[in-house]
Amino acid sequence: MKITFELLFPTIRPWVEHLDRVWPAYIVKPQFASWEVLHILSLVILGGTSILMNLRLAGVGLKEEPPSEIYRNLRRWQDLGVIGIIVSGGLIGMANAERLYDSTAFVVKMICLAAGVILTYGASRPIARADGAVSRRDMFFLAAGSGLWLVGLWIFATGVLINPGLFHLLTAAALMVALIARGRLRQIFLVGLAAWIATQLYVTHVVVSPDDLARLDPVNKALAGVLAAWILGGAVTQATMSNPEDQTDRWAKMAGYVSILVWVSAAAAGRWIAFA
Amino acid sequence: MIRDFLVWLQNDLGKGVGDTAQSWSEALLGSLNLWSLLEGTHLLTLMLFAGTIFVVDLRLLGVTFRRTPISVVSDRVLPLTVAGFALMVATGSALFFAKPLFYYHNIWFRAKLIFLAAAMINITVFHLRAQRNRLAWDAAPTPPLTTRTMAALSLLSWLAVIILGRFMAYDWLECGKPIPHWANVMQACKASEKGAVERLPLTKLQVRAS
Repeated sequence: MKITFELLFPTIRPWVEHLDRVWPAYIVKPQFASWEVLHILSLVILGGTSILMNLRLAGVGLKEEPPSEIYRNLRRWQDLGVIGIIVSGGLIGMANAERLYDSTAFVVKMICLAAGVILTYGASRPIARADGAVSRRDMFFLAAGSGLWLVGLWIFATGVLINPGLFHLLTAAALMVALIARGRLRQIFLVGLAAWIATQLYVTHVVVSPDDLARLDPVNKALAGVLAAWILGGAVTQATMSNPEDQTDRWAKMAGYVSILVWVSAAAAGRWIAFA
Repeated sequence: MIRDFLVWLQNDLGKGVGDTAQSWSEALLGSLNLWSLLEGTHLLTLMLFAGTIFVVDLRLLGVTFRRTPISVVSDRVLPLTVAGFALMVATGSALFFAKPLFYYHNIWFRAKLIFLAAAMINITVFHLRAQRNRLAWDAAPTPPLTTRTMAALSLLSWLAVIILGRFMAYDWLECGKPIPHWANVMQACKASEKGAVERLPLTKLQVRAS
């Protein structure tokens, strides 16, 4: 089943079809590229601030400063990034409404956007402001945002033609674990990743012919599942391992991981609107 | 000469025998998902590369992390920026390899390369000259004017690279379409497969009618 806004709200099609003729869409449409640039620049600002703030929660990055100092310096820029993607996204969305109405990737993007806002403002930022201390309220928003994000990921993973886009997320997650993990854990993680890449190449080029798409599809899905499990295992082990140099709460670390990946998911889904 | 090399790169490199044989460049462009994954990764890596360099430049401008020494911000953030840049170059090179002639005759791509070179020169000059006496202003909330100027130039260069990179996807000034003379010259349309088509200036009558 292809999950789209058309499936969820079939009666609003006439309104959607009319959207690009409504102010300000008819002004935006001729300058679509410029508004797209604004959307990308907002994503850049949001990406940079989220990466630095949340990597600090996960235990790397600007470790010389407490998380509250990172938060204090980046919060206004992060606000700018979030407002920028919502405003520019709303405008380019209005000018391109019919296409988005039929797009599964757009549904994923919207769910991840909502999850990103919940995780950023409900969990990551309050935890950073409190220097890594996690309150019950933060836990609630962490759980709610993560749950919503997982719903988005499920639609991403089961969406026909868009699910290869999940490799962006897996790549980002693997890089994060490789960056954050230390010592023996990092070595084991990297060896496992190398073994996975070798297995993927062997299975999809030798065991199954690269032209045999019918057999490749389930194989690719199974291998992606193995990779996701390996990365998740690495992240959970890193977050829960006791490290005398790093006393950050394990839930603060998980909030750091999830709050970066949720924005990567939103951006990846956004890009795959154009491909499928 | 460059064009001849790119023609070989696009049409001949890696090509097998037979009518349906493809060059490696054509195979990459026609791949089911690889090209899309590369393009998506190139864009997503902007979050890491440009997002972190933006924070470093803001510190050099004296806008953020004013209480944190510049050396701390640089040492902790720049490795992420470099990793992002390496990924961008790798994916960008692969994307270029898939359509070398398209990019060669693309005015936005040519302008992007100029700003990319400007940004790289700016970084080199900063590390060779402006950083020489960094100890004197490392902890200063607002660095000296030279440093701030170079940070502003860095921000503007990367901004231009991002904007021009996005504009490459649009065909406003594509060879083979009626475009101004300067655009035909700047992207060497005459040598392209689609050729150069000059857009004639509007007559007074046409201007009135439009």
